[in-house]
Amino acid sequence: MNRVFILLTISILFIVACGNDDDQSTNYWQVDVPEYFPEMVYTIENNPVTKEGFELGRMLFYETRLSSDNTVSCANCHQPYLAFADPVHVFSVGVNNQKGTRNAPPIFNLAFQSHFFWDGGVNHVDFIPINPIMNKLEMNESISNVVKKVNELPEYQDKFKQVFGKDSVNGEEFLHAFSQFLVMLVSDNAYYDQWMQGKYELNEAELRGMKLYESKCADCHGTALFTDGSFRNNGLDAEFSKDLGRAIITEYAGDEGKFKVPTLRNLAYTAPYMHDGRFETLEEVLDHYDHRVVQSATLDPLLVQANGELGIPMTDQEKSDIIAFLHTLTDRDFVSDSRFFDPN
Amino acid sequence: MQCLCGLNFKLKNKMKSFKLLYISVLSLFLFISCGDDDEAQLEGGQAILEFDNRVGMSNLQLNTSDYPYTNSQGQAFNVSMLKYYVSNIKFSREDGTEYTFPLSEDGSEGYYLVNEQDKSTTLLDLNGIPEGKYTGVTFTVGVDADRILEGAQTGALDVTNDMFWSWNAGYIFMKFEGHSPVSTEDGAVLEYHVGGYKADPKQPNLADNVKQISLNGEFSINENKKPQIHIIVDVLQFFDSPNEIDFSSNASRHTPAASIDVAENYVNAFILDHIHE
Repeated sequence: MNRVFILLTISILFIVACGNDDDQSTNYWQVDVPEYFPEMVYTIENNPVTKEGFELGRMLFYETRLSSDNTVSCANCHQPYLAFADPVHVFSVGVNNQKGTRNAPPIFNLAFQSHFFWDGGVNHVDFIPINPIMNKLEMNESISNVVKKVNELPEYQDKFKQVFGKDSVNGEEFLHAFSQFLVMLVSDNAYYDQWMQGKYELNEAELRGMKLYESKCADCHGTALFTDGSFRNNGLDAEFSKDLGRAIITEYAGDEGKFKVPTLRNLAYTAPYMHDGRFETLEEVLDHYDHRVVQSATLDPLLVQANGELGIPMTDQEKSDIIAFLHTLTDRDFVSDSRFFDPN
Repeated sequence: MQCLCGLNFKLKNKMKSFKLLYISVLSLFLFISCGDDDEAQLEGGQAILEFDNRVGMSNLQLNTSDYPYTNSQGQAFNVSMLKYYVSNIKFSREDGTEYTFPLSEDGSEGYYLVNEQDKSTTLLDLNGIPEGKYTGVTFTVGVDADRILEGAQTGALDVTNDMFWSWNAGYIFMKFEGHSPVSTEDGAVLEYHVGGYKADPKQPNLADNVKQISLNGEFSINENKKPQIHIIVDVLQFFDSPNEIDFSSNASRHTPAASIDVAENYVNAFILDHIHE
């Protein structure tokens, strides 16, 4: 009898041991969004989010020791109370107070997008942190040295044990932890979203603005993300020697002067606007589209009217209505979510 | 647990020995089904793929103080680094079928980083190969485009290997670095980094430097043999044909389009020299 019992026990142990290791942690977090959002493109099956992994990613996001002189963290240019846009600088400022060449974009809804940075040079969330870490003007480090540095820090060794069951990480684990924080940065509760869900009434000006948005803006700033994720030349300049934009990545002249269409969500927090932060207000942005669009070889065809004139004509009333609607894309819950704040 | 104990009590007087056998078999079955796929792969034959880096007729020596080598334009040079990815290895059979070595989801298997600095990386230990006769080997120099869309990887593809472009996310397939007195770059360096792939059909203009190489050579895999497939990689070919590379102009290349010519050349650098059976 005893032998039977032991064998049965062993069998059951094997059944238990067979289970996925992931089952040990029950704190899975879902990236929940309203049904009108596009499909998630992030490979979450390779990197399911846990509470502990998310918190480790958050520590890394606010970690100045990821930079060569231990002074610059991601949060220097991406502040949570501004939807992770830059609080003070037109251009990002990195180690030794060096100025970058572009305005830091806000960070949210990354899991639903396939290209990142103004030139789209990164095509997977996991690889986003490598870009600023290795940029000489930003954090000026090598990824191998950053991983080595955090592996030597006792406070990280404890976290690595919790998340990965060992006290040091490889590059995959380092990047996966980072991504667990980044993909949880979801902004989906603006006044607009509440209206979509029948929980909020838009006023007359906002409703008029929405109609105008649909006819004048949504071709590029469409979907629930308020960007189609494409790269376009929106007529800011006649030549692009300062910044070739998308062509830096594709090395194709037809992409010169094109930049990633930015989201319109949380615009109230993310001034200044455009890849080089040249406009301080939404009024300036709309004035640009109305009558300041400049001709060039790669200008987006949507900015050329049937009569050959450039831009998207708008009356002052229309501009004011559009801006009223754009303010309904402000998500106060997102910018005040303490889960995303500096843990220190 | 209690429930199962009850079951045992019920059964205890009947066919006890049969039950014991049954449960033993059940345990064994569960044990086997628990096994990792890796264990299954250990069955089957083995082979070694050797990458023997050379410069013309000479063995490649890194970090020499002088310039021991000369390209086809008569420009002297030395070499300080040679690293490249080998992946997606296949062994082909006479009947046109082939055995494809598995690629693990996290990149830890099936991707190799050959680094001249570390001789152990020039010998790829392959196992789990079905027994039989083979007529050739195919592999990719670089990393297939689909892999980038899987996100962070480990093993040879771990980003801490510093074979990754940060600003234009993608693996650097090959890094050749050295010096030439004719180089106009700072420190008279030669830096030819090759990468570039097309993972997005909406981006047709991207340079695609993923190169597949097929080499012919007959060998057999069976339990008594571990053939060593000796591939010579001639660095001179990187700079020779079909595109002659001039070290005196643009000798520091770090973008996909800039190294299309080097990638086109190095497909000719891999030569199956012989196979030790």
